Amino acid sequence: MNLHLNHLNAKAAAVTPMVVEALQKLVAAGDMDPAQFAGLQVQLDWVQYKQNFREVVSVTRGAKVTDMRIDTRQVTPDNLRPEMLRALAGVEGIPLEDFKSFRNSIAWEFNKRYWGNLGDWERMTGKGYQEALPGGKSDGNQDDAVVDSVADFWSLLRDMETRKQLPPEFFILEIGVGSGTRCGMFVEKFRQLDQQRGTSYYPRLRVLMGDYSLETLDMSRPAVKDHIHLCSFLALDALNPLKTLSFLRHKILYIHSTNMYDNLPDEEIMRRDGGLYYVHMRAYVPMPDAVRLAEKYKFPLDGLRGVVDKLLAIGPDFGGDIECGMSFWAELWKAMRLEEQMVAFEDLPDLMLPTGLDVPRLEDILAGVSGDLRFHLSSGALESFVNTIPLLHPRGYLQVQDIFVTDLNDYRVGFHGPGKLDGSIVNWVNGALLKGVAERTGYDLHFAPYRYRKESKTSVLYTTPRE
Amino acid sequence: MSIAKTQIRQMKLPILPTSMVGSFAMPGWLERLKTDYFARRISHHDLDEIYDAAAKAAIKDQEVAGLDIITDGEPRRDNVVDYFLERIPGIQIDRSSKKFYYDFYDSSVHSKLPTASLGLVRDFQFLKAFTDHETKICITGPHCLTKRLRNQFYPSDEALAMDLARVMNLELKALAKAGAGLIQIDEPYYSGFPEDVSWGIKALNTLVDGVDTKIGLHVCYGNRYGKPSWEGSYRYLFPAVLDAHIQQLTLEFARRGGEDLDLFREFKPSFDLGVGVIDVKNDEIETADMVAEHIRRALAVMPAERIAVLPDCGCFHLARDVAFAKLKAMVEGTKMVRRELGQ
Repeated sequence: MNLHLNHLNAKAAAVTPMVVEALQKLVAAGDMDPAQFAGLQVQLDWVQYKQNFREVVSVTRGAKVTDMRIDTRQVTPDNLRPEMLRALAGVEGIPLEDFKSFRNSIAWEFNKRYWGNLGDWERMTGKGYQEALPGGKSDGNQDDAVVDSVADFWSLLRDMETRKQLPPEFFILEIGVGSGTRCGMFVEKFRQLDQQRGTSYYPRLRVLMGDYSLETLDMSRPAVKDHIHLCSFLALDALNPLKTLSFLRHKILYIHSTNMYDNLPDEEIMRRDGGLYYVHMRAYVPMPDAVRLAEKYKFPLDGLRGVVDKLLAIGPDFGGDIECGMSFWAELWKAMRLEEQMVAFEDLPDLMLPTGLDVPRLEDILAGVSGDLRFHLSSGALESFVNTIPLLHPRGYLQVQDIFVTDLNDYRVGFHGPGKLDGSIVNWVNGALLKGVAERTGYDLHFAPYRYRKESKTSVLYTTPRE
Repeated sequence: MSIAKTQIRQMKLPILPTSMVGSFAMPGWLERLKTDYFARRISHHDLDEIYDAAAKAAIKDQEVAGLDIITDGEPRRDNVVDYFLERIPGIQIDRSSKKFYYDFYDSSVHSKLPTASLGLVRDFQFLKAFTDHETKICITGPHCLTKRLRNQFYPSDEALAMDLARVMNLELKALAKAGAGLIQIDEPYYSGFPEDVSWGIKALNTLVDGVDTKIGLHVCYGNRYGKPSWEGSYRYLFPAVLDAHIQQLTLEFARRGGEDLDLFREFKPSFDLGVGVIDVKNDEIETADMVAEHIRRALAVMPAERIAVLPDCGCFHLARDVAFAKLKAMVEGTKMVRRELGQ
């Protein structure tokens, strides 16, 4: 058996002897086959998100290997052994789908529905979605951070003007507009700087605000009301901005997003004993929760999947009572868990890695890291990146404020999602993989720590053209 | 001195002849094999055989697509620069500086460049051996090479470019002697350094001095990783380029639009126009109608007898099937216009 301590939390590490002892007792009691014990990998995680998709103990099986993952934040001396036995016996719950790569999971339909009903969620919880973020505020809206961004952009325009390269219009794009606050701040500060320096750039600014949620776009309008004549609001798929904006290929000077990549569909890969595996997942509702929901909301237990389908297709007013629908949604989401299995790459003849990545390239990127590793593929972020950069003007740049894993080894010392934030999903973004893919598309990626808020976990990604 | 057009062998071509700018698609498998070579997993001998096979395939694809002038597709070249700098004696190359084969080497010059053969005639002879069509060979020009070199000897970039041109001139003469009917000089960095154009043209003229064949000049806005490196207007080329000893100037118009075609009406150059009608920085396949429309716009500023039809730049970054489909559309669109002209 291999025991892997996947965090640097000393308090949680104290659980380790308890885990080893419990496993030995399982073998001694005949609850675990000694051969299974020999090949077992046990990972102790400190799951930082209070709301997540994990049981206290979960088991991921492949054809030849078994992983046991234990959340040291939830484990207690009383629940460890029963939770181990429960996990080894297999999930008892109502599945909401078949096993599939996580990016195709129904969990992302819930995520999408959340952004489409953001106002309903905010009314129900009595707080804005940004208050659900760690720190209670978006790092996109820090005053001094926006001031610096504006100064950088103004300097670019000034340099282009000096070189007689200034285009007639300056397109900037915000992907995932949130409340619109960041965009409003950026344009207002740009106007002030432009006026202060007498450059007359402001009237030539063209502000593109892109989001797939029309409701979010509408909610963002007041934040830019003073500059509305410069703004266009675009229904845009963050996974493929080029689809909406192909007419601006090579034209946009500045593209920005905050905490958007971490909310895009994602999936996980494992390298185990030199082989690569997809982690396939299946969303389910644990049986006690399913029974409770069925009784409270008055539907037959085997009708859960149908009720979920209605919620996702129609929204929280699917039963004619939006309060009741929202309450059901919130409880269901809180209860939802993910069951896992490992599928070897060679058993996936239709294996489709995200655009910009293939197996040899992935192996090249992984070559710098030894041993077993489980990591995010950050499929949505990769896809979004590859489909965004063709929009950049040759002098343009992309700036992304998000939570990045910039060294693959960091996956060995921390849990990086998925977690739940209100009704949405959050995953750290595999910046190391993104960097490897970006190099082949002609950009170097740089990650700077976000220095505008103490203890912020945000990094700022920015691109420079690769010579 | 420049070569009068009457002295140059006339190529057997239809009106509005079609060709690639130079490179054909670089397949993913070849990228990986090149990387394997740099990782010492395959030998130089094996790589040479792979290159030959890839060049033969590129030649055949161009023929099947219906192009009139054929190149070798340039599979041997890592990028527009290194293939030449590696062959010029006296240039020091840091071979550890390349992460991907496509990256530029860190190259420098520390002393006066000696004169030597660059071995490009072998590439031309290979091409001639595998096609009966008219052919073209492309050479990166001295301005572009200078901009990728750390100059630690010559007093200026201009002096370095002039000496590079002197060294490479011998190779161009050898190519002409071997029967090269069209040599195209690629100078993509003019657009990034418009202030250099005046001496860039001087270096170009030194490069082609006494070379007894048709000379083309290709100027684009860059094509690194399938994206432009600069934006602007070709107006910066004029009037300096009118002094270039060339018979054809090839520019990109498909991606950028045809506005700069008016420069040919305004300046009435003596050289012919190579009109870019295929956007190589976009995977969308043009229709024959779109190609025909680009050509018709060029016909408004130049007679058909003086127009050649090409993509905007090399097809290097396109997938093979996309590049092939684009070339076919280019050929079909050209045929439409030829029919309209009664050809």
